[in-house]
Amino acid sequence: MTSDITRIGAGGPPADGLGARPAGYETMDDHELLRLHVAGNPDTFGILVKRHRDRMWAVAIRTLGEPEEAADALQEAFISAFRRADSFRGDAKVTTWLHRIVVNACLDRIRRRQVRAADPLPEDEDRAAELAGPAKDDPAEVRERRLDVLNALKQINSDQRSALVLVDMEGYSIEEAAAILGCAPGTVKSRCARGRARLLPLLRHWQTTRGGSDVPAKTAAESVGTE
Amino acid sequence: MTDSGLPTSEHLEHLDTDTIADLIENLLPAPEAHRAREHVKACPDCQQTYDALVQLTEDLADEGRADIPMPTDIAEHLDAVIVSESVLRSSTVGVHSLVQLREEPRRHLPKLVLAAAGVIVIAAVGVGVVVSTADHSNEGAAGINPTLPAGEVPSMTTDQVGPNAQKWLENSNGPVLHGSSDEIQCARVFAAGRPGSELRLVQPAKVDGKRATVIGLPGGSPQDIQLSVVTGCSGSGGVATPFYDTTVTLRNR
Repeated sequence: MTSDITRIGAGGPPADGLGARPAGYETMDDHELLRLHVAGNPDTFGILVKRHRDRMWAVAIRTLGEPEEAADALQEAFISAFRRADSFRGDAKVTTWLHRIVVNACLDRIRRRQVRAADPLPEDEDRAAELAGPAKDDPAEVRERRLDVLNALKQINSDQRSALVLVDMEGYSIEEAAAILGCAPGTVKSRCARGRARLLPLLRHWQTTRGGSDVPAKTAAESVGTE
Repeated sequence: MTDSGLPTSEHLEHLDTDTIADLIENLLPAPEAHRAREHVKACPDCQQTYDALVQLTEDLADEGRADIPMPTDIAEHLDAVIVSESVLRSSTVGVHSLVQLREEPRRHLPKLVLAAAGVIVIAAVGVGVVVSTADHSNEGAAGINPTLPAGEVPSMTTDQVGPNAQKWLENSNGPVLHGSSDEIQCARVFAAGRPGSELRLVQPAKVDGKRATVIGLPGGSPQDIQLSVVTGCSGSGGVATPFYDTTVTLRNR
């Protein structure tokens, strides 16, 4: 478990100045785009969205499971970011800030959904294949694996799923995830542990196909040998 | 656990997967943790489950590093929404920065409302949605008066519910409660079961061709309105069944 979430910070090439034409925006870094947006530029926020939407879509669809919900959450998140961009503190990464807004929008939707537990989400099986992304973009095994994870995540409860996505998949520390989820660190650890136990039988074929169990990362004896 | 490789109820001597997962996260009380560790060391099956759980964590991290391409229709819709936001902002004459807008919201409000009405049209075009002209004859002039007469039942798609409701509410100083007394009562009953139960909006509408009621309740912050689109409220003594919800943020609250 690591608190390193630098992988969401794609960033961009260095800024090339304020007077750049629209085509030049593509080469600006995230901070510069956001600064221009706050100053009134009508185009730069859209470029930020395009730059990071696949990353944010991954977070939303893994956390929420349903494309319609994920799309709504992302829309809320990006509008919120658009309007509150002037509250962004320049010492953080733009992607870290954006990521947090997206996570919060997703969790808000889960909480609202839980309030009306008698209102089950519709299954949207028609879109299942689409969730794995356009066929031309990735090799078949990558798409298949992606779908396996999305389908498995949908089968565990939303508390466990949120904790697992934040900690195991997005790389937040237990403490950061606890702050985001508004619960104790021990609760996050417990949800992660139970979530992994639920996911294991659903994803075990990964490890058989990879021969994972033949080459364990570390043995229990090595890992738990001291008390 | 029913997976053939995992401990099952027929093999009570094995640890269950939850216990092994808890062991890995150091969640077990000391005596139990000690027993579990000793068992895992001695039991190949449980050792295998232990290894598989450790491996699963690593596999999830690998998978988590990968982006997922956003479906094209969702990406296009999102682009249109962002364009709408930009148009809304830039139509506000004399206001160029978010800071100015935040500091002087009242001064710019009327322009914002006018701009918002125009933006609906742009957003609709951007996502290829044709606004129903029959029921929107008043709304066609929405740039001038983006309110609805009390008796009107506008048609819209679910995507348009949020922008429309935002417009109705931003153009009003208080709650907007339209529809028959039965319909409003039905909305009250629906609202009573929600966290914020004070009705902010009741608007009869045709949403995706269905006769529905758009209900607005307080959201997470004073500016947010939680919208639910329900069926079942148009008749007498009806019970609301929600089929779509979204949240809008009002700029003038």
